Amino acid sequence: MKNLLDRRKFLKGGLASGVLASVLGTGKKAFAEHSFGGYPNSMGVLVDLSKCIGCRTCEAACNKEQEMPAPDKPFDDMSVFDEIRHGQKRRTSEKTHTVVNRYDVPGHDGPVFRKFQCNHCNEPGCLSSCFVNAYTKTPEGAVVYNEKVCVGCRTCMIACPFYVPAYKYSSPINPVITKCKMCYDTRLKNGRPPACVEACPQEVMTFGKRRDLIKLGHERIQKNPGKYIDHIYGEKEVGGTAWMYLSSVPFAEVGFNTELGDQPIVNYVKEFLTVVPMVLTIWPALFTGFHLLAKRKENQKESQKATTPSDRNA
Amino acid sequence: MSKKFITAWLALLALMMLNVQPAQSMEGPDTATLDSLTDLFAPVSFNHAMHVDVVANDCAVCHHHTTGTKVTDERCARCHKNSGEANSVACRDCHNANPFSAENLQKIADAELLFHTDKPGLKGAYHRKCLGCHQEMGAPTACENCHTKTEKGEAFYRSGKFAPTPGKEPASE
Amino acid sequence: MKRFVAQGYDLPFINNTAISGGKKWTIKEKLLLGLTPSQYMDQFVRNPFNWLFTLIFMVGLPILAGRFYYGLGWATHGSYDYPWGLFLGWGLFVMVPLSASGFMLGTTVEVFGREDFKPIERLALLNGLLGYLFAVIFLQVDLGQPWRLIYPMFVSLGPAAVLFLVAWHVATYLSVQVAELLPAVAEWGNWPGMKKFVKSMILGLTISGIILSTLHQGALGALFTYAPGKVHPLWYSSPFQWFYFFCSSIFAGLSMLIVVSTLCKRFLSWRCDRRFLDNLDHQTMGLAKGAVLSLITYLVIKIIAIAHAENWAYLVTGWGGYYLLEICFGVLLPIVLYTKALRNNRPGLARFAALVTVLGIALNRINTALVAFNWNLYREIPHWREVIISITVYTLYIVTYRFILYRLPILYQIKAKP
Repeated sequence: MKNLLDRRKFLKGGLASGVLASVLGTGKKAFAEHSFGGYPNSMGVLVDLSKCIGCRTCEAACNKEQEMPAPDKPFDDMSVFDEIRHGQKRRTSEKTHTVVNRYDVPGHDGPVFRKFQCNHCNEPGCLSSCFVNAYTKTPEGAVVYNEKVCVGCRTCMIACPFYVPAYKYSSPINPVITKCKMCYDTRLKNGRPPACVEACPQEVMTFGKRRDLIKLGHERIQKNPGKYIDHIYGEKEVGGTAWMYLSSVPFAEVGFNTELGDQPIVNYVKEFLTVVPMVLTIWPALFTGFHLLAKRKENQKESQKATTPSDRNA
Repeated sequence: MSKKFITAWLALLALMMLNVQPAQSMEGPDTATLDSLTDLFAPVSFNHAMHVDVVANDCAVCHHHTTGTKVTDERCARCHKNSGEANSVACRDCHNANPFSAENLQKIADAELLFHTDKPGLKGAYHRKCLGCHQEMGAPTACENCHTKTEKGEAFYRSGKFAPTPGKEPASE
Repeated sequence: MKRFVAQGYDLPFINNTAISGGKKWTIKEKLLLGLTPSQYMDQFVRNPFNWLFTLIFMVGLPILAGRFYYGLGWATHGSYDYPWGLFLGWGLFVMVPLSASGFMLGTTVEVFGREDFKPIERLALLNGLLGYLFAVIFLQVDLGQPWRLIYPMFVSLGPAAVLFLVAWHVATYLSVQVAELLPAVAEWGNWPGMKKFVKSMILGLTISGIILSTLHQGALGALFTYAPGKVHPLWYSSPFQWFYFFCSSIFAGLSMLIVVSTLCKRFLSWRCDRRFLDNLDHQTMGLAKGAVLSLITYLVIKIIAIAHAENWAYLVTGWGGYYLLEICFGVLLPIVLYTKALRNNRPGLARFAALVTVLGIALNRINTALVAFNWNLYREIPHWREVIISITVYTLYIVTYRFILYRLPILYQIKAKP
């Protein structure tokens, strides 16, 4: 963990000095920004897909809590499970921060439902990609954002491996990012679970400290032999997420990307970030050197010209 | 879950055929009104007597060992083999209505020797127990088969008179 | 204009003093190219391109206005899976590399002292400036909150983000390019003080231009390193992505300059002076040489990256076929054409090669940003309004480009004395 933080500081320093070099002033603040991920007491949610009955109460609770726009269909209308766009099931949008999708898994008794929302990564890709620093990973575990500074560049949508952040495409005046905040302002901050967790009739979701939930999840797998796939999705994926999942069917069958790897997204970018300070320090010297060399040749030519005068074409 | 349940069920049937009566005499209400969580839905009028019949007087199907019935699950029996009747058999007395409150989470964290760290809250316990069995038995499973929505519930689900006006499709994709 | 020149009119100001009468041109006369308003209208109406442009604007401007009135969701599919569409895919990721000519020629002339490229330097700088300017305009069309454009600079800073670097560098580089072109404005307006001031810092400006360009061209590529698994592995490389974009911007900028200079020679010959026209073939070959070298470097890096990530197996898939098509059309074909042109000293062939290269780079950027993005999901075909708005803004770019070329001493030199 120590190493990790050091590396981040180094990367930030590199970029910040890039700014310093290109434009005087500013940037100083950059060295003392918040630190990332892995807060020891952060909260999380363990989602047990095997318990979900697809009632969409969590969607309704989220809509109410976050004062979202009216849905297109009532929340007790189950026909939404058949909605397919471009071969994709429903996803988060500017109208909804969480969706439940139904999957018919071959060989499994009855449908499997999967609740889906922001996973609140320990080291969020969205956060590391945001150039206005709108995102914050709170010590409580939520990944929140400040829509007052969001420019709407949508890089976080590119950077999110889970396709979570949405954008207010319908707003001409103030189109900004919108996504699940784990009910940070209204609940999590005060030690209360997110609205969806509390609303769920089946208690599909268990709220608690992330490290306790990992333990709990493994216990649940162990105590119910044969019931679960022996994996907690989100324990390690892209550096670990606050929302984690247990499933009785292979994760890939219910819409999870199982090829994300354990590296946080920012690790894929660091190769470029290390190039930045190098270019900044080496280029000026290198090209000034080239310039001096070229001038020297020219001067030599000039002195030759002085002895044998001849016109160069312009 | 399902297989285990079926096994238990078959075991019960076998017991019945052998004409072995459960040790405990049957007590409990004919109907119970489950209303402690009433908000979006009206209270549930639970026909206890009918369900007692369905499980052939085996209280443990729902009440674990609290009524004094012998526990059937081997793992429970390791500790609760000789547990007697509990002071209270009501679900709400063990299953917390606010399982994720800071106090409850702290209580679990502080109790180092606590085994039941994964105990569902009251709402979870009700629904998992009822729905789990209803699914197995082919009993009704839709929300309003057991409890009707209140007006607040309709507003919450944006259904009934709160339903969104049809024909307003999302922006053309 | 050609007709006016052929009719024997004084070529619209080429000197700061009008030839007839010996008095100085006013700014208004300069703006009208030394023609009377009715003469100006005559030449405007006679030019068929103006009719085409007018048509495009008549259709496109209302739709562009609609985008700001109804929101981006009206103008595009409003896709959550493809957050970046044509406005950025074309307007940012294609326009910026094609505008790398500014720093390339700035370096060649000012740093390496290759004075023989001086006649085309200003065109290169202008091409750079306008490309960046319109990339920013495209960005505005996409974001729709112009007042928030300065947020990453002054309101809320996220210095660890790649886009932060792009924003700062494009912004500063834009001002560097304005400064680099100020001498042309100074000459046109006859403000010698301004020119002197800029001249004194031209080397500093040029070198900062190199740094800024290396980094932001690379950073545009690095933006996609945030999306491992979303961008098809053949178009994605965590260690090399920035170099793909930087290296390809070199030949993109040079080739675009060849294309633009060819268009100038073809359609604006009346505005070009002998210095520009007579040197063009020689310079085209020089640019071609630079382009082919960077093309080869690019190809080698592409192959190394495939080996590095052991992506060979992808080459035999459908995506691999498409990738090879892009490489063959956008890299191999230009290399062959440029080499032939250089060997046989055929500037015409080099110009064709440049056109292919420009199309090839556009293909590459569109592929990376849109086609090979979400390769596991589905393709998003841009909304027709999105296409029309893109064409409209690009037309605005061409019109602005032409407006400046007509007037500022880019293709010609203002003579000190009549």
